[in-house]
Amino acid sequence: MINLSTGAFYERSTQQMSVLRARAETLQSQIGTGDRIERSSDDPVAAARLRMLARSERLATVDTSNSQQAEANLLLADQSLVSIADLVIRARELAVQGSSATLNDEQRKVIGIELKGMRENLIMLANSRNIAGHALLGGQSTGAAYVDDGVTAQFVGTAAVDALEIGEGQSVVPGLTGPEIFEFDTVDGPTDIFSVLANLAAALAAGGAGAAQASSDALASLDTGLEKVTTAQTVIGARLNWVDLMTERRENNAERIADERADVGGADIAVTMSRLQETLTVLEATQASFVRLANLSLFSMLR
Amino acid sequence: MASDLLSIAASGARAARGALDVTAQNIANASSEGYVRRSLRIEELSGSGVAGRNADISLSGARIAEITRNADPFLQSEVRRTGGDLQRANTELSGLRNIESAIEQTGIFTSIVEFEASLQQLAGDPSDPSRRAAVLAEATTMASKFEITATALDAVGDGLRFDADAQVTQANIFGSELARVNLQLTRAGSGSSDRAALLDQRDQLLERLAGFSTVTTTFASDGTVAVSLGSTPARSFVQGGTSGVISSAQAPDGTLSFAVDGLAVNPGSGSLAGTRLALGALVTTRERLDALANEVATAVNAAQAAGVGSDGSPGQPMFAGTTAATLRVVLGSGQGIATAPAGSPAGSRDTQNLANLRTALANDNPAKKLSSLLFDVSSTVAGRNVTQSALQTIASSARVSLEQQSSVNLDNEATNLIRFQQAFQASGRAMQVASDIFDTLLGIGR
Repeated sequence: MINLSTGAFYERSTQQMSVLRARAETLQSQIGTGDRIERSSDDPVAAARLRMLARSERLATVDTSNSQQAEANLLLADQSLVSIADLVIRARELAVQGSSATLNDEQRKVIGIELKGMRENLIMLANSRNIAGHALLGGQSTGAAYVDDGVTAQFVGTAAVDALEIGEGQSVVPGLTGPEIFEFDTVDGPTDIFSVLANLAAALAAGGAGAAQASSDALASLDTGLEKVTTAQTVIGARLNWVDLMTERRENNAERIADERADVGGADIAVTMSRLQETLTVLEATQASFVRLANLSLFSMLR
Repeated sequence: MASDLLSIAASGARAARGALDVTAQNIANASSEGYVRRSLRIEELSGSGVAGRNADISLSGARIAEITRNADPFLQSEVRRTGGDLQRANTELSGLRNIESAIEQTGIFTSIVEFEASLQQLAGDPSDPSRRAAVLAEATTMASKFEITATALDAVGDGLRFDADAQVTQANIFGSELARVNLQLTRAGSGSSDRAALLDQRDQLLERLAGFSTVTTTFASDGTVAVSLGSTPARSFVQGGTSGVISSAQAPDGTLSFAVDGLAVNPGSGSLAGTRLALGALVTTRERLDALANEVATAVNAAQAAGVGSDGSPGQPMFAGTTAATLRVVLGSGQGIATAPAGSPAGSRDTQNLANLRTALANDNPAKKLSSLLFDVSSTVAGRNVTQSALQTIASSARVSLEQQSSVNLDNEATNLIRFQQAFQASGRAMQVASDIFDTLLGIGR
């Protein structure tokens, strides 16, 4: 005969009910937090994946801010280039005027003064600052890009702009250096737009027969200079496009990460709810039957 | 010898009283821990006929032969064995869980990622003092998280060792108690209720002892037990009225070893074995964390040494300390972060050295290493969880079968109560009959 001991009955019932209760509580906390994983040991593989996802999410926010910084610098460079191109075009117009034989020396002198002013404007544009307050066209240097003595402008920046990471191992060069915009080759060898303007202004100021000739000689150089500036504009435009493209990719990536995170670690509310309901129903039934069984005692029959 | 109706009835009433006492005792102890249901064996008392008067009726009623304990030694040893396994799994699991919490909840992983992110942010504009300050702040956070984790792991070890020491003390107490019970058992009368109570005590002590370590038991016919602790080889612990002394010793790396009377013993199962396993896991985790802290410090300091700070001075080490507990930031200000390569002027925005630092860190990949450390710990916890719940099921079913077999069923006791009450009443009735017969005999002469 199996002896059904009273103690064993109570122990078994308590165990069953506490197991059910613990299960219900786990499900409840999953619904409450929306996360399936409370601690890593709940699902080590998923938790490790979640950690790595959180890391790439965090690093992507830095990529985003770096990329925004690069974009802002590129936009600033673009605006400067537009102004520079305008100035060069205007200088070319003046050079055309200066080369005209109908002008007298006085008039050429006036043109020379205007050209000198434009050269100064150009130097100021070349020394404009980026959003962090550094030289926009000076590479990695912190101070001014050009030092001007009135005739030649000396480039004092670094040779190149360091590339900036913008996510997924891609990078962009967030700007241009002065030589990439202002220096070019002529038939007489390498020169830059500042010397061309300075020489022209000086020749016009000096007047005489050489002035008209100097103006027409400068035309070719100014054309090459303008070409260089427009090329630089194209480069900046292409880089801005690249930044845009990468921004879009980053956004898609962030969406993918969020999706994966929900898949790996999120609790499916519908499934969890119905499991919780099931557990609660079983728990209630267990409690009810426990009470009825516990009331079944021969002692209540003894009178 | 002839029978005596009155004394037969009296002996019946006495036996029924005894049985009622035992029943009441069973009911009273229905929920006492370790109580094994008693039952009474009542046997007939009859004298044999004397020579020449063999045909005489010679009856003397009933007597209480013995109080039996309905314990099944096999089930009891199963409860001890499975209980020891469960204790080992419980202790190991709780130790591992604490290790997991120490690494996970201090947020050390997040702080490493933040440090990486701050370096990446600095690459955006190395001359920005606030970005430099942010790198230094994140480095400080990371170093202190390493330290907090190391402290938390130390606390886990301290807790485990403290528990183990308390358990060793308790095991020694149980051992001497067992020796005392052994002595009393040799003096207790066989079949007495005293003996049954002592056997209950003995089994309860054995079960508790099995919670600490593997026990090997040898029972003598008088109920005394010889106990050996541990496995391969088992060391004799309790022998008759004497018990040995368990001691624990701490190795320099924080692990524990145990000995009985100076002889090294491997606990095999029970919480002492669990403590040993958990402490072993703790040592491995600590070593990996220390190595990780050292690698980070070495990689960053090496890169620092190869570059110059924003004031153009040679880069100084950012971290000091070679273990997780001693890792700290020694670089005074963000100016000192060597972003530019050696030879660069003050205020250089050259990020070559910072890029080298980031490459070195990326090759080292502390975040991934920490994640895999956490993964190893947590997957061990997950695995042990499965083992523990299996052992729990096994242990609780062993306990339930023992309880079903050996403990009190109130319905049975209620039935017994009625049965023995009736027996008592019947014996009383027999006395009444004896008295009536006596009265009848006395009335004959009148």
